[in-house]
Amino acid sequence: MSKVKSGGEAAVSKKTLGQRVYAHRWFYFLGVPGMIILVMFSYLPMRGLLMAFQEFDPHLGILGSRWVGLKHFEKLFSDPKFYLMLKNTLIISGLSLLTFPAPIILALLLNEVRCQKYKKSIQTAVYLPHFISWPIIASLTFLLLSKEQGAVNKLIMEMGGDAHAFLFDTGWTYPIIVLQSVWKGIGWGSIVYLAAITGIDQEMYEAARIDGANKIQQMIKITIPCIMPTVVVMLVLKMGSIISVDFEQILLVSNAMNRSQTEVFELFIYNYGIASGSTQYSYTTAVGMFKSVVNTFLVVLTNWLVTRKGYDGVF
Amino acid sequence: MKKKEKKKMGMRAKTLLGQSVLNFILFLLAAVMIVPFIYIVMVSFTDATVYEAGKFILWPEKWSLDAYEYVLTGSGFLDALRSTLFITLIGTPLSVIFNAGLGYMLSKNTLPGRNILNKLVMFTMLFGAGMIPGYINMSNLGLINSLWACILPGACSAWNVMVMKSFFQGLPAELEEAAEIDGCGTLRIFTRIVLPLSKAMLATFTLFGAVSYWNTYFSAVMYITKTAMLPLQVFLQKIVLASNISDVLDVASNLSTAVPEEITKMATVVVAVVPILCVYPFLQKHFAKGVMVGAVKG
Repeated sequence: MSKVKSGGEAAVSKKTLGQRVYAHRWFYFLGVPGMIILVMFSYLPMRGLLMAFQEFDPHLGILGSRWVGLKHFEKLFSDPKFYLMLKNTLIISGLSLLTFPAPIILALLLNEVRCQKYKKSIQTAVYLPHFISWPIIASLTFLLLSKEQGAVNKLIMEMGGDAHAFLFDTGWTYPIIVLQSVWKGIGWGSIVYLAAITGIDQEMYEAARIDGANKIQQMIKITIPCIMPTVVVMLVLKMGSIISVDFEQILLVSNAMNRSQTEVFELFIYNYGIASGSTQYSYTTAVGMFKSVVNTFLVVLTNWLVTRKGYDGVF
Repeated sequence: MKKKEKKKMGMRAKTLLGQSVLNFILFLLAAVMIVPFIYIVMVSFTDATVYEAGKFILWPEKWSLDAYEYVLTGSGFLDALRSTLFITLIGTPLSVIFNAGLGYMLSKNTLPGRNILNKLVMFTMLFGAGMIPGYINMSNLGLINSLWACILPGACSAWNVMVMKSFFQGLPAELEEAAEIDGCGTLRIFTRIVLPLSKAMLATFTLFGAVSYWNTYFSAVMYITKTAMLPLQVFLQKIVLASNISDVLDVASNLSTAVPEEITKMATVVVAVVPILCVYPFLQKHFAKGVMVGAVKG
């Protein structure tokens, strides 16, 4: 059997490269549209990174603009705004790291529900927000928390309290961001842990029951250790994205009052590169490039850590 | 004997209590997810005559469809809906076809250059040029103020390609081999054997694609400056934050003074979210599988 197979392979390798490519021509035909999209919208923009080393002028183009070396990066590292952006990014990612256990707890709770129908309905409800767009979540936030039209303030006032402008109170900016993220992500995040729990050998639970372990003990001694590999992988991957925030969310939460809390790299790039019309293309490209490079480094590093520990990485 | 029975009863009561507490906690969590939607739906159906600013509404005393009539007849809404429908209806099939085609190509392990092509696709997950180079590129391609700027970049994503690739690799190779011996060409094998076997996976990607195109927001904010071309999500955001709604709605109806601002906002949110709620049951049926494939191996 294996002899026949290796004979077949030898026959394949005898063909010239041209013949082999020709034999696969329809495979290339199927793959080409996707490749064109990736080249056009992922690879072509990369030549724009040269702008970070130039004084880019849209009329002169990338080839005609004046080169200035690392000027923009020097400016970046001496800009107090840079440290504000870095701080805000790390705070927002750090807070999201704090909520990391929430989906795990939800998965553990869901796993204990006896009635399958009830479990299904709860799952239906908690997965839903994942599909709701950030503009809708921002609108809901406004309609719940705004001072004049917010439902929460109406309830406070009906109970005799004073309305509070949550959206303009800088003390509430981060809590709102965290609440939105947890609301959107907790159910979806629990799926991967639920799957890990499903994969646990049921005999272990039986043995534990015979030994007299109660549900809580079973959870701590069996379920949690068994899903630990998944938890480690998810945590490490989350660390890899510590320099990235969900930009649509931050853009929609930010307003004139909370700028000092919400100014992150992307928001700065958007405001100074595109929205304001000031077109500081070169400087904002440098800011973005800094972020992309750090991000890539972190993803590669964390992925390396995951695979070194013996788990399947993403790449 | 008696003692043992008593203990058993106690255990049962304990589990019953535990289950009730557990069920209650999960019920609260589910309520937090659902109640905001119920609230906006209720307010959106409230008649203007029973509406009082500052009063909390959970059940309208008098029902009315005025807000919906007001929102749905404005040319602002119709323009936004047209853009979003165009993006979704064109983008979804394109993205499924492009991702599946590229995934199938990469799944063929005798393909010359497969390793390099694989790395090229993977690299796009790892490193992005960023917002400004993307914008300049889009303007070089002449796609500023074109809805294609919202469709094409999302029409092929490395992650989806990789998921589809590993799915195709998991299909039994014998079927394809048998078809090849019978004289079937690559395209015939792909459309007659591989795709029919992948129906569930394709359905998942179709639904996910449709949801993400329906939710198009930031790419429109970036690349589209003409108000009449902005998609629904941007329109919604403008309505909710607008100080003068009738300008955004662009409606010549006499309802503009009759319907309170707040009710109009709620109705707009409902309109934008209803399609998602409609496809959600179908999504839920499939997505567990889709997520699994993605989570197990990229």
